[in-house]
Amino acid sequence: MGKINLPMFCRTCLAAALLIVMCFFSPQSAFAQQTINGTINDGAGKPLSGATIAVRNGNSTTVSDANGAFSISVPSPTSVLVISYIGFTTQEIVVGNRRSLSVSLLSNNAELNQVVVVGYGTQNKKDVTGSVKSLKSEDFNRGIINSPQQLLQGKVAGVNVTSASGEPGGVQGITIRGPGGVRSGSTPLFVVDGLPLDNAGTGGGDPLNFLNPQDIASIDVLKDASATAIYGARGANGVILVTTKKGKAGTSIMTLSANLGVSNIANKLPVFSAADFRKEVVRIGGTLDDKGGSTDWQDIVTRTALTQNYNLTLSGGSEKLTYYASFGMQKQEGILKNNSLDRYTGRFNATQKFLDDRLIIDANLSVANTVNNRPPITSVLGDAISNNPTYPAYDANGNRAQYVNISNPLNYFSLDKDVANINRVIGNITPSFRLAKGLIYKLNFGIDNSNSDRDLQSLSSAVPQRDGRLETYYVYNKNTLIENYITYNLVKGSHNITALAGHSYQKISVRGRNTSINRFPIGGVEPIYNPGVGQELTLANNRPGGYAYVNEQQSFFGRATYQFDRKYLATINFRADGSSKFGQNNKYGYFPSFSLGWILSEEEFLKDSKFSNLKLRAGWGRTGNQEIPPKITQPLFTTLGGSYPLYPSGTYPASYTYVRLANPDIQWEVSEQSNVGLDFGLLNGQLNGTIDLFRKVSTNILLQVTPADPVQPSSEVWTNVKDMSITNKGIEFDLNYNRQINKNVHFSVGGNLTLIHNRVKNSPYTVIPSGSASGSGLTSATINGYINNQPIGTFYLLEFIGIGNDSLSAYRDVDKDNIITDKDRQTLGSALPKTIYSFYGDVAVKGFDLAINFNGVSGNKIYNNTANSNFYKAKLAKSVNTTPSAIVDLKESNNNAARVSSRYLEDGSYLRLNNMALGYNFNTNALGISNWASSVRLSVTAQNVFVSTNYSGYDPEVNADRNIGNISSYGIDFLSYPKARSFIVGLNVTF
Amino acid sequence: MKKTIIKSFIMASGMLIATGCTKLNETILDESSVTGLTDIKLAEGTLAPAYAVLPTIFQHTNLFALQEISTDEAILPYRGGTDWGDNGIYISLHKHETTSTDPNVRNTWNNIVLGISRSITAISSLTTNKDPNAKIFLAEARGIRAYYSMLTLDLFGLVFVKEDPSGISKVVRNDEAIEYIKSELLAIEPVLNNTAGPGRITKAAVWGMLARLHLNAAVYRDRYAANFTFKSEDMDKVIEYCDKVIASGDYKLAPEFFSIFNDNNHTNKELIFAVDQRADLNGHNRMAYFSLSGDQFPLPAYTGANGTDGPGITPDFYRTWANAYSPVDPAVADPRFFKQNLSIYTNPADSCVAAENFYINRGVLRGQQYGLTKNPDGSFKKCPDGKIKVSMLFNVTRSRPDLPVNFTEFIDFTVAGSNYNTGYRVEKYEFSRGSVSGRNFGEHDIMIIRLADIYLMRAEARLRKGGGDAAALADVNTIRAARTATTPAPPLTSISPDLLFRERGFELYWEHQRRTDMIRFGKYEGAWTEKNNTDKQKRLFPIPQTAIDGASNLEGYLVQNPGY
Repeated sequence: MGKINLPMFCRTCLAAALLIVMCFFSPQSAFAQQTINGTINDGAGKPLSGATIAVRNGNSTTVSDANGAFSISVPSPTSVLVISYIGFTTQEIVVGNRRSLSVSLLSNNAELNQVVVVGYGTQNKKDVTGSVKSLKSEDFNRGIINSPQQLLQGKVAGVNVTSASGEPGGVQGITIRGPGGVRSGSTPLFVVDGLPLDNAGTGGGDPLNFLNPQDIASIDVLKDASATAIYGARGANGVILVTTKKGKAGTSIMTLSANLGVSNIANKLPVFSAADFRKEVVRIGGTLDDKGGSTDWQDIVTRTALTQNYNLTLSGGSEKLTYYASFGMQKQEGILKNNSLDRYTGRFNATQKFLDDRLIIDANLSVANTVNNRPPITSVLGDAISNNPTYPAYDANGNRAQYVNISNPLNYFSLDKDVANINRVIGNITPSFRLAKGLIYKLNFGIDNSNSDRDLQSLSSAVPQRDGRLETYYVYNKNTLIENYITYNLVKGSHNITALAGHSYQKISVRGRNTSINRFPIGGVEPIYNPGVGQELTLANNRPGGYAYVNEQQSFFGRATYQFDRKYLATINFRADGSSKFGQNNKYGYFPSFSLGWILSEEEFLKDSKFSNLKLRAGWGRTGNQEIPPKITQPLFTTLGGSYPLYPSGTYPASYTYVRLANPDIQWEVSEQSNVGLDFGLLNGQLNGTIDLFRKVSTNILLQVTPADPVQPSSEVWTNVKDMSITNKGIEFDLNYNRQINKNVHFSVGGNLTLIHNRVKNSPYTVIPSGSASGSGLTSATINGYINNQPIGTFYLLEFIGIGNDSLSAYRDVDKDNIITDKDRQTLGSALPKTIYSFYGDVAVKGFDLAINFNGVSGNKIYNNTANSNFYKAKLAKSVNTTPSAIVDLKESNNNAARVSSRYLEDGSYLRLNNMALGYNFNTNALGISNWASSVRLSVTAQNVFVSTNYSGYDPEVNADRNIGNISSYGIDFLSYPKARSFIVGLNVTF
Repeated sequence: MKKTIIKSFIMASGMLIATGCTKLNETILDESSVTGLTDIKLAEGTLAPAYAVLPTIFQHTNLFALQEISTDEAILPYRGGTDWGDNGIYISLHKHETTSTDPNVRNTWNNIVLGISRSITAISSLTTNKDPNAKIFLAEARGIRAYYSMLTLDLFGLVFVKEDPSGISKVVRNDEAIEYIKSELLAIEPVLNNTAGPGRITKAAVWGMLARLHLNAAVYRDRYAANFTFKSEDMDKVIEYCDKVIASGDYKLAPEFFSIFNDNNHTNKELIFAVDQRADLNGHNRMAYFSLSGDQFPLPAYTGANGTDGPGITPDFYRTWANAYSPVDPAVADPRFFKQNLSIYTNPADSCVAAENFYINRGVLRGQQYGLTKNPDGSFKKCPDGKIKVSMLFNVTRSRPDLPVNFTEFIDFTVAGSNYNTGYRVEKYEFSRGSVSGRNFGEHDIMIIRLADIYLMRAEARLRKGGGDAAALADVNTIRAARTATTPAPPLTSISPDLLFRERGFELYWEHQRRTDMIRFGKYEGAWTEKNNTDKQKRLFPIPQTAIDGASNLEGYLVQNPGY
């Protein structure tokens, strides 16, 4: 249990709870007297597969098969069958003497009866007053998926998911309703089965890679502050609640699925072929260096990659005990050689009931192992796009060819290795005890523990000459949580009140260490397996490093909801958050929210209208962002300042300096958000939609600033910048149309649209630069700037106005002083899209179903740093390969510099056919295997089918992290891993 | 029923209170604030970091860029359109078009003010330190603060006066700044002796700083004057302090000019105050690697140690040498210009050299360069007898294997003038023999004040004061005559401010003094290669925008220099 300091009472309570789980496992027996066969349809005649048929107060439960058919044993004619299905009104039928049944379930408005997870509880969607979107597993994106963010992309209005690159398992950027801070740390809070995760990296790739997407039952996105205030100081960036699958009583289901995917590079950069290269270098008057070969270096470094994915799930249970267990394995190859991501996951979720169901214990346990193998990506790509194509990749003997002036990327594949191995275990146990009618006490104890090691190995070699080096990084993360809360529900007449009060204590500790060793014998053992073969170990080259911190957070929270007459709704949330990261003078922050709802469709005057649902919501709340570095409030007088010799010989004095002064005032960033929303349903619930208007203002912006008096121990200190604010405001539309045409045909189409507007205001700085440019000759140039009255991610650049009469680049002289300096930089658009949209549809005809998902953004720009540092005329003139874009201007000198400027700023809008899946459900009855397999499904999925964009790089969805001093950069593409196009064949069998 | 509810509420609230006792005090695991030190450890430990920023200040992109690339001694074009572009900052610096966002200006500023802050921490701690050495350490801390203050005064026109580490500095300029620095130096002068140098502040270092301060006082008092008024009493002070250094007998002009800049120069008697670099602690090799070609590999032991094709000297500066000795080549006439270590230049047949005897040439490098070249596998080419093969160099690392490493006098910002081979290069400091990457593990001390400068300052003061021409000429010729390891430069026959300025260039080129000298001699608004700006306001650098922004909440506290 670690060193968490639980109060005595809790410890006892916890031990008891654990004991109960371990000891209490009573097998249930079934007793059959009468068998009922039947079918279930949706009222329009379409069979409903997966409907639950249970005997009330009995033990047996079953699920209807693909044809809606079921068979169940009941003890007596007075038995009552309870038939339920998501989106339909539950029916209860007295069996009587019947042997067969045909049940038509009433299509209730599926949208309205959805259960929404809201943090420390659930609500029916119709009762929700905040801006919340719930997404069930069937709505998820399909394809090769590594993290839950990818499941969500394009599915929720206001949520912008941008992968940093196309690398398997790479970091997925996600913002909800726009970034509200300057530093990195605009990621929403992720809560998995009630356990809030820490956003700290776990040692490689996206920290959420450990979740097997197939285990996720639903993802709920809390967008506005009236919903997220229950998460207080961590709610400012939105909250994403992930709920994993549970077993159903009375079922016994085993599902096996196997998927095989094939991926290829979706889009190569159009660099010159050897033939064109020979022609063009000469044509522009360059120096042709021709080694006689013809090499497509991009082909040399990429491959057709295979991905295998296998999942086995077991679920079911009795009335008193349900369980869900899964085992998953995904072995994914990257489209760059030597790149792979292997993930093994296991999960066991159980729910058990005791004491006449007064005590319910939920336990979730998941383990994951990911192994990520990476080549040195930017080096490989840099060589692949710029190497002279006339240089053969292999010599006459078929060995890797070696050159003095260019590096053969094949060397990296043979000599370099970057392997990260991450083990993560997450578990929580949540006993809930019904103390009295409507009064439930719940305990949530959870732990999230991950260990990782990462080896960066560079082997020694004679050709090319290298001594070799091994660096090893260890990261240990541990997150423990203990929460106690009470919910109380009272229904009296037209009044419905629920109240929640609780306490939470969370402790997060992170440790990292690194070691290295140099110089290995050529050949022999790989130093990864025995670093002892290294021959050189010096403090200058191999000084070990490390860091560690512990953050503690203690919170008190509460919620009250009130409903009157099922029409008028009110919710109040409150949380007091204390964190060890905050300064002594500001230990606790207080985060309230209020929201109201009015279900107009319940009113008499709309009873007979076309609206099946009409609800108006409005809310306001205050939340915080506490994603600040640890220790910044504490003074430090230490030996980190560097020493200086005071004597001709002997050891150097340990030098003592203040590297940080105390800053007891530091606190969280504050975000206030108002939201007005309208939910509507028309055409008997076939058309559903939501419109939300929001305004989120973040203040108290936490920044490392230069102090007024420059004579300080450190040139920058952390502070909450007074008056500075970042505003995100916008409007979100969500629309879905759902129709059963006849027994065999069903379709739905939907989409969402977000218009968002971001502004930085009252910054005391003329510009906070970020986005350091990469590439030779570009050192010290910056690309982004945070500027008053401009959005975050603004590109602050010289404006390229063409090639001048001197054959050199000309830039706009903004201040008209006849020289081009930093003062001539202008704001030239932002990397944040103004519009985010998506649309999707699916159609089911007999056993076939087809689902299509499009998503896109517009109004944003991308800085193509790859082109800036590689594709310009001077490069080609020296026989370094470029794309044709480098030589479009014949006037341009062969020695013209490629300065950071708007010349490399491109439109970042795109529309992507993200994924498309065609499936066929076999009729197991017709095949005569229904006793053996209740459903068999074959599917073909295409992922990243096409992208429509004007962007000239690999892919417009890109965000290379080029932050400066933790100030986030946006929309920069620098040798980013190209995106793959994948085709996946899958087989899914349920037993 | 009711009882149950009440009971459970009591139980639950008890639980809340029980867990509610966490104080949320932050535990720090990976750092510790230092306590319980002995007096001597604390004294050494607070003084060392005050000095420790010096190597960084003296990096190629910091003080060197500001003091040299802004003058006729150095020019750094956008090499081949691929290197040293750096968003145009080196071109701006040379053209006197630098702006307040320039990162080199900012880094230099940040390191100097950090040095001041650490000096203040040291001073406040040493004042109460009981160790017998604490008095001298305290004087040194005040001395190094005075030196940093001289840098801020010279570069930015202001000085920060601060005694209480937690207080706010007072910003002073002009006379007030000069008087403050002077009073600090005079206060510590009696405490110090001349034994701890050249890496630490000594009595002689204080004399040298006082001489330098008085010599430039006319500039610091009236920064933008058309003509500076050098006060006689200032010049007397310059002469007085220079006399003291010379009379102390602790310092000696080096017979071999380039030995002053060798790896082992720490014990060279010419050094008065220098940045003490140790390869195993704080040394960088930036001064030696900056100007060399990317295809010059000076160390047979390390295949990764090469140059960067950084700055060359302007043709204007070269002409001062060529014209001074015409028709004799400056390499023949003056040992300060060039030292040949590789005999292939005079004996082309000699192309195989034992690795331990391979040293590159020093001083100003002109024309075709020879040196180590690589096999395809990255190792250096060798002769059949195992010796290192010395061959003609080409720009292979720059993907221009057709272009010889042939340094030309011609260098400017045009396409042709920006090629990899343009401009004569400077290798004044020895390329540190243990520098694995060429950048790291520097060994040589970097000059701040040396004896030749003392002679030159005394000569200048005598000249400016009037009536001391003969003595001034004698000072200049003392230096010329001292370089006896080879044929010394011929004595000058007359002296004038222009000749003295030229002589400072010959002696002190690339020693971080040129900008200050040019301003004092009224030449900073002159014209030279790619520089025509005559704006006097460029005599000062801008205060970095980050500092101006940071002080924006204190109105009038940090005022930007005019013209920026």
